[in-house]
Amino acid sequence: MWQQIHINKRNSILLLLSMGLVLAALGYIIAAAIGGSPEAGWLGILIASAIWLIMTLVSFTSGDQILLASSRAAPVTPEVHPQLFNIVEEMKIAAGLPKMPKIYIINDPAPNAFATGRNPQNASVAVTAGLLTRLNRDELQGVIAHEVSHIVHRDILFVTLAGVLLGSVVLISQVFLRGMVYSSMSARRYSSRGSSRGGGGQALLMLLAVLLAILAPLFTQLLYFALSRRREYLADAGAARLTRYPEGLASALEKIAQQDIPMESANQVTAPMYIANPLRGKKYLNLYSTHPPIEQRIRILRNMSQGASLADYEQFYRSVTHKAGMIPQSALSKETVSIRPPSTEKTDPSSLNQIRAMGDLMRKVNGFKFLTCPCGVILKIPPNFPTGKAQCPHCGHVLSVS
Amino acid sequence: MNCAVCSNPMITLELDQVETDYCLTCRGIWLDKGELEQLLGDTLQAQQVLQSFQIAQDCKESPRRCPICGKKMEKVLAGPESKTTLLDRCKKGHGLWFDSGELESVLSLGRFDSEGKLPSYLKKMYTRK
Repeated sequence: MWQQIHINKRNSILLLLSMGLVLAALGYIIAAAIGGSPEAGWLGILIASAIWLIMTLVSFTSGDQILLASSRAAPVTPEVHPQLFNIVEEMKIAAGLPKMPKIYIINDPAPNAFATGRNPQNASVAVTAGLLTRLNRDELQGVIAHEVSHIVHRDILFVTLAGVLLGSVVLISQVFLRGMVYSSMSARRYSSRGSSRGGGGQALLMLLAVLLAILAPLFTQLLYFALSRRREYLADAGAARLTRYPEGLASALEKIAQQDIPMESANQVTAPMYIANPLRGKKYLNLYSTHPPIEQRIRILRNMSQGASLADYEQFYRSVTHKAGMIPQSALSKETVSIRPPSTEKTDPSSLNQIRAMGDLMRKVNGFKFLTCPCGVILKIPPNFPTGKAQCPHCGHVLSVS
Repeated sequence: MNCAVCSNPMITLELDQVETDYCLTCRGIWLDKGELEQLLGDTLQAQQVLQSFQIAQDCKESPRRCPICGKKMEKVLAGPESKTTLLDRCKKGHGLWFDSGELESVLSLGRFDSEGKLPSYLKKMYTRK
């Protein structure tokens, strides 16, 4: 396990370095093209590094908060969903986390989840309301175990930093490309033809810069996604071991795969954080996928009927994907992890009452007021409701909101 | 969630374990995907009812924006062949919008879905005795 974490850390650093190189190259060539001399390129590297440094510092100190806020996740107390807290605590103990992760709920009907944070001491787990309503205890436990594995494997910091780097590369390219469009427009209008200063050399540099500005974001994204896919398999393996019940995660993934509504609050930068690609159904993502095929992940987990150790996962990972192993030898200890029987806790996740209860829960988290009219209608008033009185459309009774 | 017509915050009403969203200012009603499922029971049936509407060609009414995704909704003709009424449907499938006047015409149609659950519920909720 420790070697696995070590390899993960090394990969993260390699990735961050290569992304940093792309960023520096981008800064150099753009500045050289604009300034018309290679010396100007060094200034470009300086500016690119400054942007990167600021964004890294920001993401290191409050990246998790930014990601949670941009996903519209709300922190919740144990009273809101006792079962969720119970499962997170269970997995925290099983994985030996030093501290209970903070728990967030995202008000989104699409079932999904992610973990973020700097390290196991400062970690957060966020799940959508749709996930909580659709999964039973075993399935929810599988998803939480997957997220806790991301925390244990130190994937959370990597995703935060890589997301920020990717963001910087996209930002610089966009600013340059847009600037090009506007400057070429004004050049056409205000200067006579053939008065370009730099001549052929600058034109070539300009062409290179444009090319790089288009390719760099794609390249960085490919790098980011390629590495995030492997991490998903590793987290699945960890989840099977922690829960001793691979079927829980398998059937959770199945339920998640059935839903093809894309998440409203996810975007290209945050997509790799989630347990399953939140942008399914949006066409452009077919080009590069952030997650391994969900059917393969389910098949590996379903094959694990003999045991739930990392070695068991590795065995079926090889037979299902026909790829070389992914878990380092040293992590594949001789431990045997027997499969536990399914939970006896009865939940009826498909019941409409539970979905409505979840909606009420999200409204309470978001500061709604609940008024019951004498006629039996319940009025749920949003916090931004302007007037102090509301008339029940059913019986005409006027209720005071404040 | 804000009203698709007047942008005022909408309130949610719950009666008989079914929820609808309502604008107290302009009396518009929003039924989202989940609420339609609650009313019509099976998800498949709710889907069929939504799919059965025809898109209205060259409609003069200005488009409304979906209260959930903010995208322009499409105008659809709902109801049986002879008598139809114009509603707004979110292109992404988030739900259905009824203007205040449209409710009455929907109620007069009667056969909205096969069992008429939707009109009877809306009648119970939104018409005062």
